[in-house]
Amino acid sequence: MGLSVSDRGKAVASFRYVHVDLMETLAHWTPTSPEMEVKLLLGEHIWDAAQNADALGKRTRELRLPLQHSLRPVDAYVELLKEVRQERDTSRRLSAFYDVVLPGLDARYHAYLEQTDALLDGPTVRILEQIRNTSARMIKQSRELRAELPALGNVDRGWIDAMQKRESRIPTLVS
Amino acid sequence: MQPLSAADTTVIRGITVRKGPAREACFTVVEDNSKLSFNADPDYEKGKDMSEGMRRNRIHTHMHNEMQNMEIAAQTLVDFADAPWELRMELARQCWDESRHSAVLLRRLQEMGGHKGEFPVMHYEWNITCMQDSLAARLAIQNRTFEGGEMDILKVHAQMWRDAGDKVTAGLLEAILSDEIHHVRFANVWLKRLAKDDPRVLLKVLTGISFMKWVSTVFAPAPDDVNASGAKVTDTVHPNPTNIEDRKLAEFTEQEIAELLRQDGFGQIVPRPS
Repeated sequence: MGLSVSDRGKAVASFRYVHVDLMETLAHWTPTSPEMEVKLLLGEHIWDAAQNADALGKRTRELRLPLQHSLRPVDAYVELLKEVRQERDTSRRLSAFYDVVLPGLDARYHAYLEQTDALLDGPTVRILEQIRNTSARMIKQSRELRAELPALGNVDRGWIDAMQKRESRIPTLVS
Repeated sequence: MQPLSAADTTVIRGITVRKGPAREACFTVVEDNSKLSFNADPDYEKGKDMSEGMRRNRIHTHMHNEMQNMEIAAQTLVDFADAPWELRMELARQCWDESRHSAVLLRRLQEMGGHKGEFPVMHYEWNITCMQDSLAARLAIQNRTFEGGEMDILKVHAQMWRDAGDKVTAGLLEAILSDEIHHVRFANVWLKRLAKDDPRVLLKVLTGISFMKWVSTVFAPAPDDVNASGAKVTDTVHPNPTNIEDRKLAEFTEQEIAELLRQDGFGQIVPRPS
């Protein structure tokens, strides 16, 4: 059995919250990261995150919620997003965003797509497929930048593993 | 927006302004026009030196300005999280546009044999705009005034590069100008909307514009100021007439354009408002 309208609305509104938060995190990092090439990458991805949030926010109205409605995710996930935003080191910022948060979200979208009725919930499916494609491009661009400027890839592997583990231990975003 | 703390601001020539964004060590950030390194070769028309070094300097300055414009739009997204979503979308899109502009100018600079950090840069626009605690004032200063002025500059500069035989750079500037029109236009549209919803917004805009004019006056070079290249600062600039066509596209009113033309010295031919 698929998800109810209410389940789907809550999930989409929670995903929207996350993308607005990610947009703001990238915007916060743009003036505060010194490296020019990093700034330029973040500037592009601000727009990607905004478009993701916008598409999800249009879908919320179709699921009996207000237009551009966001739902605050579970505390553990909000806390994770907050800590990621507060990171000050550029290398860790990039790693937290592109190696932890985006891949983690991709796994959550995959799980949603497995659960929902692809025909009945087709509009959400299309939006999430589009977001997954966008995220894959963003991750690829960040890897290319870090390959070009290896100093940006100097992050303790143990730290990344711990962050990934922490993210994956949060069973669901929806509060 | 959260009130600025002392750590967020700095004092330049006695005026408290927003502290500049983070920069790599390769950039030399100066606080004074006279510390810039524009040349004024007498072989060229005043302010239109297109010698090899000045070509790179012009591209470098523009590249840095575009990056700064992106940082201002990003900071505005952060500072005004409660702004209408459609306006936040415009600012987010502006971040991408300015990012592309800066990247394409960096690429052009490198094609010319230059590199980032080659010339001194300023944070003038950031210092003024990001000091404002009202979204309307930021739109009025950054998008409508600074970027509106950039539309005038870009039109003149695209022609300068074309005249100098560099069609590639001229084409880049024309493409950038096309994007900038929209950044000015959305500010004009939203300023009207915000002021209609709350007329007190106009007071904030007025305060912001007064601050900008005050800083501009205090920061303006003295007539005899000589810059880091030994050129008189006043010899490194040239007039940029109002770009009427693009200002119309950016939704400036006929009256506003007429006022700008009067400031350009065309008061005799501009009809007076009845």
